[in-house]
Amino acid sequence: MRSWLPVLRDRRRYLAIEVEAEGRIRAADLTREVRSAQTSLFGDLGAAKNRLRMISFDGRFGLLRCSHDRTEVCRALLATVHSVGGTRAAIRVRGISGTIKAATEKYIPQSTLQPDENERRVDLGLVSGSVVRVHGREIDLAPDDQKITEGSGTRYVGLTSFDLCGEDIDADGTSDGL
Amino acid sequence: MTYFECNLHTLPDGSDSPSRMALAARKLGYSGIIITNHNAPVPPFGSDGARLAGGIEVVFGAEIVAADQRAVHSRAASLRNKVDFIAVHGGDEKINRAACEDPNVDMLAHPQRGRAGIGVAAARAARDNQVAICLDLGPMIHLRGGGRVRWMEAVKRDLDLVRKFDLHLMISTGAASHLDLRSPREAVALASLLGVERDRALDALALPGSILDLNRRMWASVGVEVL
Repeated sequence: MRSWLPVLRDRRRYLAIEVEAEGRIRAADLTREVRSAQTSLFGDLGAAKNRLRMISFDGRFGLLRCSHDRTEVCRALLATVHSVGGTRAAIRVRGISGTIKAATEKYIPQSTLQPDENERRVDLGLVSGSVVRVHGREIDLAPDDQKITEGSGTRYVGLTSFDLCGEDIDADGTSDGL
Repeated sequence: MTYFECNLHTLPDGSDSPSRMALAARKLGYSGIIITNHNAPVPPFGSDGARLAGGIEVVFGAEIVAADQRAVHSRAASLRNKVDFIAVHGGDEKINRAACEDPNVDMLAHPQRGRAGIGVAAARAARDNQVAICLDLGPMIHLRGGGRVRWMEAVKRDLDLVRKFDLHLMISTGAASHLDLRSPREAVALASLLGVERDRALDALALPGSILDLNRRMWASVGVEVL
């Protein structure tokens, strides 16, 4: 990324949205609908000022990015979306935050993430599964074998990044090298 | 502040039951909804379910659809003691005027629908009779292009009159489905694009609550309350 003067850095806000719809919504359709609603309401000039972008969308929850002083305008334009790809839908803004991380943690419920939607797989021999949530060094893992969490009553296995690279370190002999 | 969504249509006018509408509105942050169906059966469909929804006040009002001015006045007079909230289905110039001239009417809904809007005479009458003008955000959400432009022009004229005569303003989405509902914050954001200031929009969302309180008191005659 090209470097830029810190004082001229563009400030952003992230809108956590939830889409309520009668059927399945694809991210591409949602992007197209939001873009057309924006152009219809503000024209190209206003759209350029909003700098609205889709960051992510998983079929229900999503993240949008916009300019920091255009949040109310973006809220209004999202409210004018009444259907997505021919399906009746409504976009609800759940909250607005300054970083992707904070918006995700505060406004997007993590428990609704489906394990098979996630691509990051972990296999440690004793336990294998897919990563549900990563926060710092802490990792929540949805295990393939549900029996492993039966004793504690939790849904996910709690791991750290240390667990994942530990074996490798042992394997090439660096952990006891000193 | 207690915000009300004041012009909703449920089954058979809309596609949702009152309880579904109530749950959706509660989730969005409303403290009450007023259901104003055109042809309301007595008792209204789903009123038992609406009572069970909980956490939100569900009021059954009525919206008068009339062909001429006399019908507006006679329907309003007969409904006044039966329901807590009377709206008139606006859009026609004569009906808009008749609604504004009737003190029994609480709110004139979507006067801009036929692009007629309220005129100066009707605005003056609305001030004298304390009839609120409803800013219906439905066309803002559903229309695109030329239709919305013409609607916005009509709304602009009416909002100028509302400001000039200091009329009561209400804001609603006129929803017929829970997907048409918008939260109070979204309604404020949409209204601000149309030139309604934030404070004014918040007052407009809270106004139906105070109108309901007034209507529920027992009035012996104009200005005389039974305690």
